[in-house]
Amino acid sequence: MDVLEAAEKAWDLVPDPVARPLEEAATGVLAAALAGSLWARDLVVGTADQVVRQVGPAAVRAVLDEMDLTALVRERVDLDAVASDLNVDDVVARVDVDAIVERVDLDAVVERLDLDAVVSRVDIDAVVDRLDLDAIVERVDVGQVVARVDLDAVAARLDIDAVVNRLDLVALANEVVEGIDLPGIIRESSGSMASEVVRGVRLQGVEADEAIARTLGRFLPGRRPRVRPEGAT
Amino acid sequence: MTAEAEDAPAAESSTGRPPRVALPPAARAFQGRRAGVVTRTAASVIDGIVVVALLVGAYCVVAGAKFMVNPHTFTFPEVSAFLGLTSFFFVLVGYLTATWATTGRSYGDHVMGLRVRGRHGRRLGWAWSFIRAVACAVFPIGLFWVLLSRDNYSVQDLLLRTSVVYDWREGN
Repeated sequence: MDVLEAAEKAWDLVPDPVARPLEEAATGVLAAALAGSLWARDLVVGTADQVVRQVGPAAVRAVLDEMDLTALVRERVDLDAVASDLNVDDVVARVDVDAIVERVDLDAVVERLDLDAVVSRVDIDAVVDRLDLDAIVERVDVGQVVARVDLDAVAARLDIDAVVNRLDLVALANEVVEGIDLPGIIRESSGSMASEVVRGVRLQGVEADEAIARTLGRFLPGRRPRVRPEGAT
Repeated sequence: MTAEAEDAPAAESSTGRPPRVALPPAARAFQGRRAGVVTRTAASVIDGIVVVALLVGAYCVVAGAKFMVNPHTFTFPEVSAFLGLTSFFFVLVGYLTATWATTGRSYGDHVMGLRVRGRHGRRLGWAWSFIRAVACAVFPIGLFWVLLSRDNYSVQDLLLRTSVVYDWREGN
């Protein structure tokens, strides 16, 4: 400060006729120097820009070819931290799933699937254990299912001869006969029949017997009716 | 045999019979009396229908068994007149024997309110039932001797000392 103040004081002592031309000369020199420096800066920047544009991509590719970026990222980047910072919901919300699905060739995907291998890895028992088979069966329209079955075709495939050959018809018949209580059936069928209709038929039969007996008694002296129900004519 | 003995309810003179149900008032006047030709003929016709029904059922069983054995070449079995009559005879004898020996009445007897009794009003045994059934099947027209008999006996009744009486009570 002392030096600058001293220089300013010393310059103030210089007479204007001397100092003014000097100042104008110095100003011109400084302006020329400034313009030169700007021109030099532009020249350097432009040249550097051209160099970067022409050499940069090739240099970057060469560098990248020499580097294992995957290994570098794994080594240098904390992927867990990056993943934890991700808002997956926002990402998923911005995904147009319909558009993705429309672009997927499901036929090609299915053709490439090894379904046998996939199925062999499925724990069928666990799947079945989780199924509510009762509820499923309740929802099945068995009548409709049976209506769609071609019973004629099923019957045509049956080997009835083989089935019959396996039956012991004699033993079966004996078992059925032994199981029938014929006297019991006769007693039951006889005992359960006591209706007004039967009663009327019986009464009419008795009356007819008596009428026949009376008629015959008129023509056959040795025969006389023995049945005379009350109220009969 | 006196008239009183003949008119008395035959069922009451037998032994060891099951409890009786109440007799309908309309049947009390002739309960236990020997039945006439109309009711007995009607009962016989009903029994004949029953036997025919049994034979038809047996025929269906045989046809079904034949179908099961060889369904591809199945045809309904042919039955000759001889086989039909023979089958009818044997089934009728078996049916009458079983019903008379067990309940004392065939189904036709039950419908018409009749019961077959032996001597002293007892129920027929198996042997006597069989003999009477054969007699009825061989000589069915013997039933119409009832028209000439003052005691409503058929030829079979006279030969075997049996009788057919009105009995509307249930049970045997």
